[in-house]
Amino acid sequence: MAGRQKKRPAENYFDYSLLFIVLFLLGFGLVMIYSTSSYEATLQGHESTFYLKKQVMATVIGLVAMIVVANIPYHFWEQFATIAYIGSAVLIVMVLVPQLQYSANGATRWIKVGPLTLQPAEVAKLGMILFLASLVCRMGRAIRTTKGFFMVLLIPAPICVMIWQITNNMSSAIIVFGIAALMLFVASPEYKKFIILAAGGAAAIAVLVFFISQAASSESMGFRSERILAWLDPEAYASGKGFQTLQALYAIGSGGILGKGLGQSMQKLGFLPEAQNDMIFSIICEELGLFGAISIILMFLLLIWRFMVIANNASDLFGALLVVGVMGHIAIQVILNIAVVTNTIPNTGISLPFISYGGSAVLFLMIEVGIVLSVAKGIRLKDI
Amino acid sequence: MVTFFLCAAAFLMLIGRLVYLMVGRSEHYTEAAKALHERERSIKAARGRIIDSTGAVLADNRTVCTISVIHNQISDPKKVVEVLSKELGLSEEYVSQRVEKYSAIERIKSNVDKSIGDKIREYDLDGVKVDEDYKRYYPYETLASKVLGFTGGDNQGIIGLEVIYEEYLKGKEGTILTVTDAKGVEIAEAGEERIEPESGNDVYVSLDINIQSYATQLAMQAMETKQADSVSILVMNPQNGEILAMVNVPEFDLNNPYTLPENIPEPSSQEEKQNALNQMWRNGCINDTYEPGSTFKIITAAAGLESGEVTVNDRFNCPGYIMVEDRRIRCHKVGGHGAEDFVQGTMNSCNPVFITVGLRIGVDRYYDYFKQFGLLTKTGVDLPGEAGTIMHKKENIGAVELATISFGQSFQITPIQLATTASSIINGGNRVTPHFGVKVVNGEGETVKTLQYPVKKNIVSEQTSETMRYILEQVVENGSGKNGYVEGYRVGGKTATSQTLPRGSGRYISSFLGFAPADDPKVLAVAIINNPQGVYYGGQIAAPIVRQLFENILPYLEGMNYNT
Repeated sequence: MAGRQKKRPAENYFDYSLLFIVLFLLGFGLVMIYSTSSYEATLQGHESTFYLKKQVMATVIGLVAMIVVANIPYHFWEQFATIAYIGSAVLIVMVLVPQLQYSANGATRWIKVGPLTLQPAEVAKLGMILFLASLVCRMGRAIRTTKGFFMVLLIPAPICVMIWQITNNMSSAIIVFGIAALMLFVASPEYKKFIILAAGGAAAIAVLVFFISQAASSESMGFRSERILAWLDPEAYASGKGFQTLQALYAIGSGGILGKGLGQSMQKLGFLPEAQNDMIFSIICEELGLFGAISIILMFLLLIWRFMVIANNASDLFGALLVVGVMGHIAIQVILNIAVVTNTIPNTGISLPFISYGGSAVLFLMIEVGIVLSVAKGIRLKDI
Repeated sequence: MVTFFLCAAAFLMLIGRLVYLMVGRSEHYTEAAKALHERERSIKAARGRIIDSTGAVLADNRTVCTISVIHNQISDPKKVVEVLSKELGLSEEYVSQRVEKYSAIERIKSNVDKSIGDKIREYDLDGVKVDEDYKRYYPYETLASKVLGFTGGDNQGIIGLEVIYEEYLKGKEGTILTVTDAKGVEIAEAGEERIEPESGNDVYVSLDINIQSYATQLAMQAMETKQADSVSILVMNPQNGEILAMVNVPEFDLNNPYTLPENIPEPSSQEEKQNALNQMWRNGCINDTYEPGSTFKIITAAAGLESGEVTVNDRFNCPGYIMVEDRRIRCHKVGGHGAEDFVQGTMNSCNPVFITVGLRIGVDRYYDYFKQFGLLTKTGVDLPGEAGTIMHKKENIGAVELATISFGQSFQITPIQLATTASSIINGGNRVTPHFGVKVVNGEGETVKTLQYPVKKNIVSEQTSETMRYILEQVVENGSGKNGYVEGYRVGGKTATSQTLPRGSGRYISSFLGFAPADDPKVLAVAIINNPQGVYYGGQIAAPIVRQLFENILPYLEGMNYNT
C-alpha cells in the first residue's frame, strides 16, 4: 500500500471516470424504472411517473449526500467506527418495536420515523465497512495470526445473524458477511486459509443441495428447501416458488440478442413480480437483449476496476480498506442479483445497485461512492 | 488484483449464462411467454348442411347473435340499459343488473335473431358486444327427425346422421388470439391474430323429401285411424341399399328436441325426463327389434329353394295344424288350407308348409343360411345404435324351435334387417348395405368423398332370386297380399301379423313388405304398425299403406328416371 500521505492539493486526484460510470448507471436505472413501473403504477391508480418521481427524489438526495461526503476527508469517519457497529445493531433491533416498524410485501424490514422509511440492513452494510476498515488498521500485524483471522471473521457474525433472524433477510446477511470476508481477504496475506474456507463452503452447499433434492418426495419441507427445489427445476414449481424465477427466465429468454426494444417488455405487465425492483435486470434483458445486458455488466466491471485502481493507490490502509468494502458490497450485489434472475443460484431478494427501485439503497450507495471519491482525492497524481 | 479477477471471472460466468439463456434457450422461453400472454377466443365454424337427393336442405345453419356487455368499456350505462331492454324485450332491472355487474364479460342474451343483432350493432354503443354465431336449423322441423338427428350446445351431433357424419359436418373452429396483461386485460396496440374457421362439408343423402313427406302422411293417417302406438315406414332401393325414406311416427321437432310431447305426464325427475327423451328420439326401424312373423317366410322360402329341399311345384297338405315332435303347431286358418303347392302355400302364408320346408333343411343348414344371408350381423346402416339380432344359440335349436323360426317367431330382428335381407334375396342375391350418405361436398361444390358401401355377392343364386320374385308377385296378385296391388305395376310382397311378447297380451304388430316392379325391383317398402286397435291383420291394414305409397311414388320414380 502507499506510504504516508503528504498533502499537495494542487496535484490531488479526482476520479471523474468513476463519477461518470455511477451517473450513467443512475440515469439508466431511472429510465428502466420508468419503463418497468409505469404500467404497474397506472394499474394501481397512480400516475405513470409515480415510482419514477419517488426514485428521482431519492437519487437527488443521494447525489447531495455523495457530494457532501466526497468533500469530507475520510479519516473523519474513523472515530465513528464503533458507534456505527453498535448503531447498526440498535437499528436492527428497533424493527421489533411496533411503533417504529414498517412492513412491505409481507416482510418487516424497515423502520419508519415520520415520513422516512429506512432499512437497517443498508445502514449495517455501510457500518460494517467502516468498522472493519478501522479494526483491521488497529490490529496491524495481528491479522496474520489465526486468532486475528477468526476475530475479523467472527465480529460481523452477530450483525449477520440479527439481520437474518430479526428482519428475516438472508440475502442482506450474506452480503454483510461477504463484505467482511472480502475485506479480510484483501488485508490478509495468507490465501491458504481462504482456499480451505472456500472449498469447505462449496462442499457444504453441495451436500445441502444433494440432500434436499433427495428429500424432495418427503412431505415436510421448509420454506428455503422448497426454494432450492424450485431453483433446480423452476418449471415444475411454476405456480409456487418457481413462479418468479420462471417469469424472469421468460423475460430473459424472450429478449434474444437484440431485445424487444425499450418499453416493449411484456413481462412487466403484471406477469413478473418485483419487475422494477429485484427483477429489473430480467426486464433489461427482455427490452435491450443480450447486447444491452452485457453492456450493463461491462459498466459494472468498469466500476469495480475503478474501485480497484483507487484501492491500490489509496494513500493509506484505512482508505484502501474502505474502498475494498464498498467494492465488495457492490460487486457481491451485482453478481448475486444477476445470478438470481438467471436462475444460476436459488431465488433470494437482492437488488441491483444503482438501477433497482429503492430509496434507502440508493442513498447509502451514494454515500459509499462519496467515501470512495474522498479516498480518491487523497491520491497524489505522481503515484499513479 | 486477485479480487478484481475473481469478480471478472464471476461476471464472465454470468455473461455465459446469459448467452445460454438468451440465445440457446431463447426460442423455448419466447414460446412459453407467448403462450402466457395470449388469450384464445374461439370462432365457431359453420356446420355442413345435410342435403337430400332432390337438393332440398334438410339441416341448415341460421346466423344468430349473442349480446354481451363488457363492464369497464361501457361509457353510457343508462343508454345501454335502455337500448338493450327495448331491443331484446327484457326488463330494465334485468339488464341494468348485468350492466352494473363488475365482470370481464357478461352475457345478456344468446340466440338473438340476426336482424335484432344488426340493429343493436348500429347503435354503436361502447362496451356492447354482438357476436355472431351459428345455430343448427331444420327447415322441415319434424321430417325424418329420428334419421337426421340434432346437435348440442357445441354444435356437435347428438343422434342420427348428425353423429355419424360428424367428422365431415363439423368443420374446424377458428380462433382469435389477443395479447393480454397478467389480469387478462387486452392490450389494444398488440392487435389480434385471427385464424379463420373452416366450414364443415355438406353431406348429400339418399333421402327423398317427397317420398319421405308422403310416407310420413300415410304413417300419421294409419297411426290415427288404427290408434296405434307407432308406425314405421321404410323405403329403400333394393339394388344398392340407398334409403329413400325412413319414417317413424310420432316424430319430434328437431328445432326443439328437448320438448316432450304434450300428451305424456310431466316427468318427476331429471332421470325420468332423460328416459322419456331417449324414448322419443328412438328410431324404431333401427334401434328396436321385433318378431318379424310371416314376412320372414321370404327367408325360409329362399333357403328352401337354394338348398333344393323345395321346388315351386312341390305339393303340401294343410289340415290346419302340424305336429312337430309332441307339439301341435296351428296354422292361422283353423280349417286348414287343404292341398296346395309351394307357391299357393306362400300365397296363403301357410305355416305347416314353411314348417315342413324348415324341417327339411334341418338345423345345421338353416343356421348356415341364416348366417349366409347376413342375419346374424348388423346391417351396417349409417345411423348410430343399430340393434343386433336376438337369436337362439345354435346348440339350443331343436325341431320345435326350428319350426317356429321358419315362420318368423321366437327370435327378433330389426325392420332394417328384414328390409335389407329381403332386398338381397330379390335383387339377384347381393347383400347390400343400407345407407343414407351418398357423398361429401365442400363449400366450393366439389365432391370431397363419394361414400362406398360393401356388397356381399351371391348370398342366393340368381335362379333362386328370380323364383322368389315370381312367388312374391303371386302373393300380391292373388294371395294374402292382394291389398298391396297397384294397378299398372307389377308388385311383389308379403304380409305379416305378429304377436308381441308376452303372447296373449292382445298386442300385435302388423306389417307388409312390398317391392316393385316385381321383375326388376327398383323400390322396396316396409310398413310396420305397432299395436293397432281393431283389425290387426297385416294384409288388411299394412298392405294398403304400401299400396298407397306405391301408387304415388312409382310414377314419380319413373318420371325421375326419364329425366336423368
